[in-house]
Amino acid sequence: MNAYQKVRAGLAMLWLPIAVLAAAWVATAAADSFYFPTPPVILEALIDGFRQDHLWDDLVFSVRNIGVAVLLGSAAAVCVGLIIGESRALTHATAPFLTFARATPMVAFIPIFIITFGIGAAPKIIVIAIGVFWPVLLNTITGIRGIHPAVRETAVSFRIPKLLYLRRIVLPGAAPQIFAGLRIAIAVALVLMVVSEIYGSSVGLGNYILESGARFQVAATWAGTVVIGALGYGLSSALILLERRVLGWHQERPRKNSRPKRRGSPAVSGVFASRRG
Amino acid sequence: MAESKSRKAARRRYGRLAPRVTVLAVLLGGWWAFAAAGVISEDLVPTPLGTVRAWAELVVTAEYWNSILETLRGAAAGLLFAMVIGVPIGLLTGTYAALERCTRVLFDVLRTFPGIAMLPVFLLILGATFTMKAVVVFIACVFIIVLQAQYGARSVTPTIRETVRAYRIPKRLWFRRVVLPSSIPSIMTGLRLAAALSVLVAIGVEVLTTVPGIGFRVTEAQLGNDSSSAWAYILTAGVLGFLIVVMSELAESRLLRWRPSSRLEM
Repeated sequence: MNAYQKVRAGLAMLWLPIAVLAAAWVATAAADSFYFPTPPVILEALIDGFRQDHLWDDLVFSVRNIGVAVLLGSAAAVCVGLIIGESRALTHATAPFLTFARATPMVAFIPIFIITFGIGAAPKIIVIAIGVFWPVLLNTITGIRGIHPAVRETAVSFRIPKLLYLRRIVLPGAAPQIFAGLRIAIAVALVLMVVSEIYGSSVGLGNYILESGARFQVAATWAGTVVIGALGYGLSSALILLERRVLGWHQERPRKNSRPKRRGSPAVSGVFASRRG
Repeated sequence: MAESKSRKAARRRYGRLAPRVTVLAVLLGGWWAFAAAGVISEDLVPTPLGTVRAWAELVVTAEYWNSILETLRGAAAGLLFAMVIGVPIGLLTGTYAALERCTRVLFDVLRTFPGIAMLPVFLLILGATFTMKAVVVFIACVFIIVLQAQYGARSVTPTIRETVRAYRIPKRLWFRRVVLPSSIPSIMTGLRLAAALSVLVAIGVEVLTTVPGIGFRVTEAQLGNDSSSAWAYILTAGVLGFLIVVMSELAESRLLRWRPSSRLEM
């Protein structure tokens, strides 16, 4: 690919976002609305927020909360998932309750936790961690149950020790599903983070957009919203990077124009690939 | 013969149910012990009995059913708009490579955006209204649907694409009989995820504002130190979410009866 082709490929991807931004600029400038400031004004508010206001502290608070909560919630979920998923009887017995728990909107717990425990970081971390727990747990179980029975039987007949079996066979076999669960979990975690910080907090990005909105500093509200969007994009990009590293052997995302793989088959390829590696 | 068969079926059903009943009993017992031990104040965790009592009191009030209806209405309105707008966009961008290329960056960024973060902005513009709730739900749901529809449309294999081209199948027929059927499984997955998310976001909006609905009732009850009622509303929200999951799975399997199931049995 020469330079000219590279520029062309870049333009083919970027012309629409640029056009949308330009259209938004023209429209906001023409409308001159109080609620829709022009992009430069928002950018200015963003820089001001970081320089003079406490936007940086808010960002650190939010990132720390969501990071700790996602780590705690998903680690607990994978451990519990290994126990439940390894037993067919346990999987069957708990299935409806797990589906129910997964379907319960965790945001409804936010008032209870914050009114009881106060507006500090701990109640927020707990709520986010619980929200992360269910999707990862369900996907871990589905992933483990999807491992081909022949793999299990082979492990048993070779008398592979339980711990080695869990670490080298079950975990890699379920990993694609676990990552799919994490993707959903991060979306849920972001919603819970924002809602818990808007509901009751003195710091955090949610509090920043609420406060600036209440003071009718619309540009600052938009700037905070942009920061939250960037945080969401950063988190999901980080997850994709991690997934590529961990699941390098498993082409989970189908390439363009190829049919998606059937579930279940990755488990087999996963085991062999992890042995090779 | 018929009797013994039905008895066998009944026993099998009992055999399937017994472990689940045990788990339910353990869960309820654990909850009760946790609440009765008083480790955590009753403001946080009421007893199961208290919750059931509060629920029994609530279930006869019009207020209870109204808040369920309000939550569902907001979620459904946002979801419907997200579907009507998201599916065509997804199918178009999935079919034409040029469209996919120019929207990729835009969708990639917007997909990860938590729609609820727009709440303060929309609160300023639209106020604490039903429209505001529906708009926030719409923003939260639309990109999941777009991306799933896109993914579905892209799953048409090159062989089929070329065969269709070779036979000069008209565009509209091709769209209706090839692209749509092959992308429906993926679209249904998107709708299922979006339906669960729409209720989550609708309740989130209600928790934070004075828009009527389940979330608002939870906040109100908890502020009034009535944690039993708050829990009754939360469990109601759970039942709602559960029903949505079960119903969308049912609809999915109905619509996709021609296709081997992709879901693993749990």
